[in-house]
Amino acid sequence: MRISKNLYSYYLIMPALLIYVLFFVLPTVVGLFYSFTDWRLDRESVHFNGWYNFHTIFSDETLLKALRNTIVFAIVTVIGKNLFGLVLAVALNMKLKTRNALRAIFYSPSILSIMVIGIVFTPMLRADGAINKLFEAVGLGSLTQAWLTNPAIVIFTIAVISIWQSAGFQMAIYLAGLQSISKEYYEAATIDGAGSWKSFRHITLPLLLPAININVMLTLIGGLKVFSEVFVLTGGGPGNASQVVGTIILRSFGEGSWGLGTAMNTLLFIVVTIISIPLLLYIRRKEVSE
Amino acid sequence: MGHTQRKAWRDYAVEALMIAASLIVLLPILIMIFGSFKTNVEVLDFSLKLPKSWQFDNYKKVFDEGDLMRAFLNGILITGVSAIINIVTTSAASFVLVRRESRLSNFLYLFFFMGLIAPMSTITTIRVVQWFGFYGSITSVIFIYASLNTAFSVFLYNGFIKSIPKVLDEVAFLEGAGMFSVFFRIIVPLIVPVNATVAIMVFMSVWNDVTIPLYFLTDSSDWTMPLSVYNFYGKFSRDWNLIFADLVMTSLPVFILYLFAQKYIVSGLTAGAVKG
Repeated sequence: MRISKNLYSYYLIMPALLIYVLFFVLPTVVGLFYSFTDWRLDRESVHFNGWYNFHTIFSDETLLKALRNTIVFAIVTVIGKNLFGLVLAVALNMKLKTRNALRAIFYSPSILSIMVIGIVFTPMLRADGAINKLFEAVGLGSLTQAWLTNPAIVIFTIAVISIWQSAGFQMAIYLAGLQSISKEYYEAATIDGAGSWKSFRHITLPLLLPAININVMLTLIGGLKVFSEVFVLTGGGPGNASQVVGTIILRSFGEGSWGLGTAMNTLLFIVVTIISIPLLLYIRRKEVSE
Repeated sequence: MGHTQRKAWRDYAVEALMIAASLIVLLPILIMIFGSFKTNVEVLDFSLKLPKSWQFDNYKKVFDEGDLMRAFLNGILITGVSAIINIVTTSAASFVLVRRESRLSNFLYLFFFMGLIAPMSTITTIRVVQWFGFYGSITSVIFIYASLNTAFSVFLYNGFIKSIPKVLDEVAFLEGAGMFSVFFRIIVPLIVPVNATVAIMVFMSVWNDVTIPLYFLTDSSDWTMPLSVYNFYGKFSRDWNLIFADLVMTSLPVFILYLFAQKYIVSGLTAGAVKG
């Protein structure tokens, strides 16, 4: 006996759809149009100006720098957050006496606002700050740096702070993945004489693939959308050394060059979407095969 | 050395290494907490030394001068209302999306899913909110958060509602119940744990957010705690003890929530990891 599907009316979708379309989809679509205009604070009317904004983005030194920084930040944080997250998860999946406390400690920075973390780290990262003092104390004085004021390394410093904050979040997702792997696989492997590395390589990694996939995508998309970390720690400085797409959008907004800022946003939208299509395909394939 | 003994030694070594590594996470947090009880001179060494005498007054000062109560209440209002709107609308939507199993519902699911991925278009969102006539207000921020979290909540509810057998609905329909009473009498009681997960995930992300208030709350009396702490940081840049006290106060609400709601956070994360 089948119940007609029409008993489930689409009316119930309407409130969610309306909020989502009005406050997210509509601005995105409007943004696609405004990217091709000279929309400015001090203009009465808005005119199409073709590819002018995008041409500006790819010929302006600062804007190019911001694009490069965004990509560098995304790559460094994807590697760092996943590497540390995975190592922590594997270690804290072992039967350690303090593992619950350790899990809670490693997770805790991800519940804090980046505003809090940024302000706490600012004095520690100064030339005479705690981090340089620590390096000197352990005989690594040659590694001391002006972490936030040296233009060559500032974006990496910000990336490391971001890794510090959210490696524990990635750890939690990896832990959930590890716990869904049946112990029987490992028992069988031990009987067959496989060592720890072999078990990790041939059992853990393949079965952890969904968690790895979701974590890499989360960190990659999050990395490309970076804004608050830079805003709090440097505001894009020194000079423009740590500008990213997110801070350029804020600057364009403040300067009143809204068309340019929107074009920058559109560029980010396109890059993120192109990168994410494999994820969508993967999830669809998985749902079909279920 | 026997196999079990070697394994025990390995566990001790890993444990020692992990405890050492946990200091990297703990020390900055401890510097903040100890610093918040020091005098404004003593705090400047930014060290792990305990305060010579505990200055509880710092907190009182911050409370008075930082306008913390107002920022706290703004945060509660914004996170609370946007979480409620989010839960009500997305659980209802997911119910129909899951049960319909049609081309259109599949498409709508992917359409919502795009919101998990695509970056928001900030400047044009301001424009759209201006068209509606409430730019700069707390209302605009509530709706923006509700829409930004729609994708994630639909994703969570979808996974869970799929696991509720459809037979339950069918029996109720046969007894003459309508869609609304099926939703409220059968589905709603079963999704209470997911509601808690969604509420907490929304609360954490909204409470800590800096970006949206920065663009959308033009009046500083509407600001939430992270943004007002930034303002305070600019104003009191010489009094690091007060800054630290303000940071501790800002983190306290989420920290307390985390202590009591860990279970729901973990189940939210698990849904993401296992579903992939």
